[in-house]
Amino acid sequence: MLDDKIILGFETSCDETAIAIMKGDELLVNTISSQIDIHEKFGGVVPEVASRAHAEMIRNIFHSSLNNANLQISDIDIVSTTDGPGLVGSLVVGYNFAKSIAWSIDKPFFTVDHMVGHLAAPLIENKTMKPPFITLLVSGGHTQIVLVEEWGSYQLLGTTIDDAAGEAFDKLSRFCGFGFPGGPAIQKISEGGDPAKIELPRPKTKHEYNYSFSGLKTAATNFLNNLDIEDKVTRADFAASYQEAIVDSLLSNFVKAVNDTGVKSISGGGGVMANSRLREKMNIFAEEKELNIYLPTPKLSTDNAAMICVAAQNNLITNDMNIEDVRLSSIIT
Amino acid sequence: MYSLSISTSGKYISVAIHDEKLISSSSVLSENGTTNLLMKSIEEITNKSKINRSEISVVYLDIGPGYYTSLRIGLAVAQGICGSLGIPLVPVNGLDALAFAAHTGHRKICTIIDIKREEFAFCLYKPVPGGVVKDTEPEVLDAAKLKIKLNEDNDKKLVVGDWRSLEENLFGENSYIKLGSPEHVSSEHIYSIGKEIFKNDDYPNFNEVRLEYMREPDVSFSTKSLEGEINFYD
Ligand SMILES: [Zn+2]
Repeated sequence: MLDDKIILGFETSCDETAIAIMKGDELLVNTISSQIDIHEKFGGVVPEVASRAHAEMIRNIFHSSLNNANLQISDIDIVSTTDGPGLVGSLVVGYNFAKSIAWSIDKPFFTVDHMVGHLAAPLIENKTMKPPFITLLVSGGHTQIVLVEEWGSYQLLGTTIDDAAGEAFDKLSRFCGFGFPGGPAIQKISEGGDPAKIELPRPKTKHEYNYSFSGLKTAATNFLNNLDIEDKVTRADFAASYQEAIVDSLLSNFVKAVNDTGVKSISGGGGVMANSRLREKMNIFAEEKELNIYLPTPKLSTDNAAMICVAAQNNLITNDMNIEDVRLSSIIT
Repeated sequence: MYSLSISTSGKYISVAIHDEKLISSSSVLSENGTTNLLMKSIEEITNKSKINRSEISVVYLDIGPGYYTSLRIGLAVAQGICGSLGIPLVPVNGLDALAFAAHTGHRKICTIIDIKREEFAFCLYKPVPGGVVKDTEPEVLDAAKLKIKLNEDNDKKLVVGDWRSLEENLFGENSYIKLGSPEHVSSEHIYSIGKEIFKNDDYPNFNEVRLEYMREPDVSFSTKSLEGEINFYD
């Protein structure tokens, strides 16, 4: 732990331009400038549009973050950024901006794997979390079960063989005209709906911890295509049932992995971990099995730069591995 | 008082340090996936010339047109340095830099910059004493339209920039067309114009610097929605 050092973090791997500043354990600012308004009209993240927005916004967000923390640039002790995985055009903006700042003020520069950032995120609010634990990382780009035996030693137990959980939300939400991003849109519409109204499949894969969501998506769209008004299915019923199918699928493999490994602590992260139904079921599982559970708050589950700061602070960095470029795949394999 | 000039718009990552005259420069071929080359080059030339980073007092940046991702790397680095050191960032248009660097007394200057996707940024300039002036507004053309443009009159022309990216027959049998140098924008060309703009105090606040994409992004997103066709009960 780097005591009272002031650490600046950047996260631009997808469509959020995020900057955070921590002083030791204390999170001074956590700025997240979302491009949702821009991408909403396309129904998804358009990479070229995202990188243009990062390049135009990063400088002003940096300036306001420093102001909000009441700091001068010379106060910064360490600069950190994510170097992947993510959209190349977006990553290069944050990576190069961060690196040139570190160079200009002659301070150390650390890079952090985006997924390692997510699994370190609970440390921002809960310093007591320590390995071994199993985490469920779910977002628009990833669906992973990772066993962290000790910091720096990550074992990927399960991953998706097709769509990520967040994509499964996005695609159906777009199909129904519910809005973008799909997760929050479907969660909102699901309120008051009956999660058991519609029978949707919980897809299985050959590898017991792996995920597949494309079958569920096809089943759901077929269902909607054949839906008759006489079936009396409301939007809320459909959204609740579809959300339940995703949450159940996520949970069942995760529960199996936790039981098989006998690990006593669980955690989670990624944009989908902000879903209240998923959080509820994670908490129930932890309570029943008497497990320690470390879920970051929804704001720290979605992409943010505080997780990059806290990972760098705990030395969970990639640049001692001689990686000097942005990367498309995670170091968690 | 040193200046740092940066050009990343094309195949080369080019940086230079000047102090009235050239102190040090570097130009490296940029390959795919080398997103760290620009900072490496800057570190190298400052180390080599034993210049302390805090002695840099202005940055001249090639803002395009050119390769989008490379341009963003240039902008991110320039903004990071200028923001940290509190120094001005002077944007320079790459087409202007090519025209200014082309040596001709009487020919019109056709500047071409490859922006990928088989499209080219193009602008026509006229030489005037001490410099050049734009004869047309810059535009983005594909090879076929560029050919028509180049051959539409019999004015004597000097073509500079990325003409090697184009097929030879593009220039036709037109004996009025001459192919010449520079063949790509370099940090030294950026410096030549940048220092004039700086002297004239004719540049924006550095957080208002925008890249010259010259073109809207391609958006090919399937927005297939059955909204309104699904028979929900409500
Ligand atoms: Zn993420």
